[in-house]
Amino acid sequence: MIRPTETQSLQWAEKGCLVFENAIQGDELQRLQDAFDYWAEKCKPAWLDRVAAGEASATFYDIPNVLEKDEIFVDIVDHPSYYGNLMAFTDDDLIFLAPQVRLVPPWPLSYTGWHPDVPQSNPLHIKVQIYVNDVEPGCGEFSFVPGSHKPDAGPYSRVHRLESMPGHKTFPGKAGSAIMFNSYGWHTAMDNHTDTPRKSIILIYEKRTPERVDSKRFTSIAHYCTTPERRQLFGLES
Amino acid sequence: MPRIDAHLHVFARASAEFPRETSALFPADREAPVETLLVEMEAHRIHQAVLVQLGGTNTEHHAYLLHCLKAYPDRFLGIGLIPPDTPDPETHMDRLAHATGVIGFRLTSIGGPRDPFARIDVRDFETYRIWKRAAENDYVLWLYPQAIDAHLIPYLLEAFPQVRVVVNHLGICPGEGKFSWDTKGRPQVETPMYNPAFHTTYRLARYENVTVHLSGQYAFSKEAFPYRDLARWHERLLSNYGAKRLMWATDFPWILEDPGYGPLTDIIKELLPDLSTDEYHDIMGRTAKTFLRFPNRTAG
Repeated sequence: MIRPTETQSLQWAEKGCLVFENAIQGDELQRLQDAFDYWAEKCKPAWLDRVAAGEASATFYDIPNVLEKDEIFVDIVDHPSYYGNLMAFTDDDLIFLAPQVRLVPPWPLSYTGWHPDVPQSNPLHIKVQIYVNDVEPGCGEFSFVPGSHKPDAGPYSRVHRLESMPGHKTFPGKAGSAIMFNSYGWHTAMDNHTDTPRKSIILIYEKRTPERVDSKRFTSIAHYCTTPERRQLFGLES
Repeated sequence: MPRIDAHLHVFARASAEFPRETSALFPADREAPVETLLVEMEAHRIHQAVLVQLGGTNTEHHAYLLHCLKAYPDRFLGIGLIPPDTPDPETHMDRLAHATGVIGFRLTSIGGPRDPFARIDVRDFETYRIWKRAAENDYVLWLYPQAIDAHLIPYLLEAFPQVRVVVNHLGICPGEGKFSWDTKGRPQVETPMYNPAFHTTYRLARYENVTVHLSGQYAFSKEAFPYRDLARWHERLLSNYGAKRLMWATDFPWILEDPGYGPLTDIIKELLPDLSTDEYHDIMGRTAKTFLRFPNRTAG
């Protein structure tokens, strides 16, 4: 397991986010892209029906039950490029909560505004966003306010023009890049002014607490979880 | 402070004087006369209101609306409808709005690509000419779009930034097959609590020409008045839009029996209890007064 460097640990503590360039590359990235595109196309009609029924938003699209669809989506949950960091930052007590395999169509606005995901009272909550295609500046890239994860940071306001958020940093990146961030921090997806949809995967983790462990959540992929470490990560055993 | 009910309906029994469409749920002898409304408004110190056309889109169907606007010119402003199949929406709009008190038009469809990944050209939208005319003649557009159309709105707002837009009923965009009538004759719209509008109409706050109604709670809530399950939606709209771009409304007459007009005049205090006095007055009337340009009343 690759543990964080001293620089990474310091940046995580001070800024609340880390970038892993080329976290996924080569054949593995190609497998991920192929699986993403295949299932995105296959599931799109059902999503459009849910949009028409008022059950889903038209401004982004999550491929459902993705872990059951292709093992590559399970393999990236504990990928060595960042897994050691996740473990270190949670004192080796990590639990995986959910994936969001997300396609964001071009739109004049971002589908979301600036927000933190959880309050400071929540156990440490971490997300890893993996770009499946190249995400250029102005193409819906992830953005974060470094330091906003700290309890004494802010206050921050939900500015209408996303680029007006004081102190924010945008994270364009190549396909296969992964961005890890502390979900106490303020973040968003920037507007996409191009004709290219943004394809990314958001993996959601938390420091383990008894309330979050649900041994039934991932039973459908138990056959992929053959090591004690992975079974623990997916909450299949305590 | 002005207290303005920013969205409601009045209609007469169907007659030669006031023709309108009828149906099983909207029979010819059903009525919601302006006199009933005025009694409620007087009793609850509501000074002015927006009357929104119901009962048909043709010009003649607007007879009762125009009658009410003419009888009470300093009380009411009107919102008309446009026949979906008209070859000449511009003439229809101009005719209805000419010196009548009709200030704009309600749209329940945008008419663009269903697929959000499709190439977008607003000139291909079925309502493009309506938006263009609204921009030319300063008409307000009153939006209650279907869910499938919600993602199309910002393209039109980009094309026509001068058009004043009022998004109806908490920004909800009803889904296909999710509309029904309850046993009290009220519209009901099945809507998930994690509301897809959070990512569509709520995002329109970026555009300063967009305001939103805080209304229609009875149709979306799964609880009785004061519909506390919708408090979070109200807080989120307040956070996104601010009080100067929110308008209270009752959606009379659907609420007359349950919960009654009076209780609805208190719903903002119930669901947004932490508003400042200024914010409260904005939502209860000042936003509507300025955004819709209500006239000053000449008499009590």
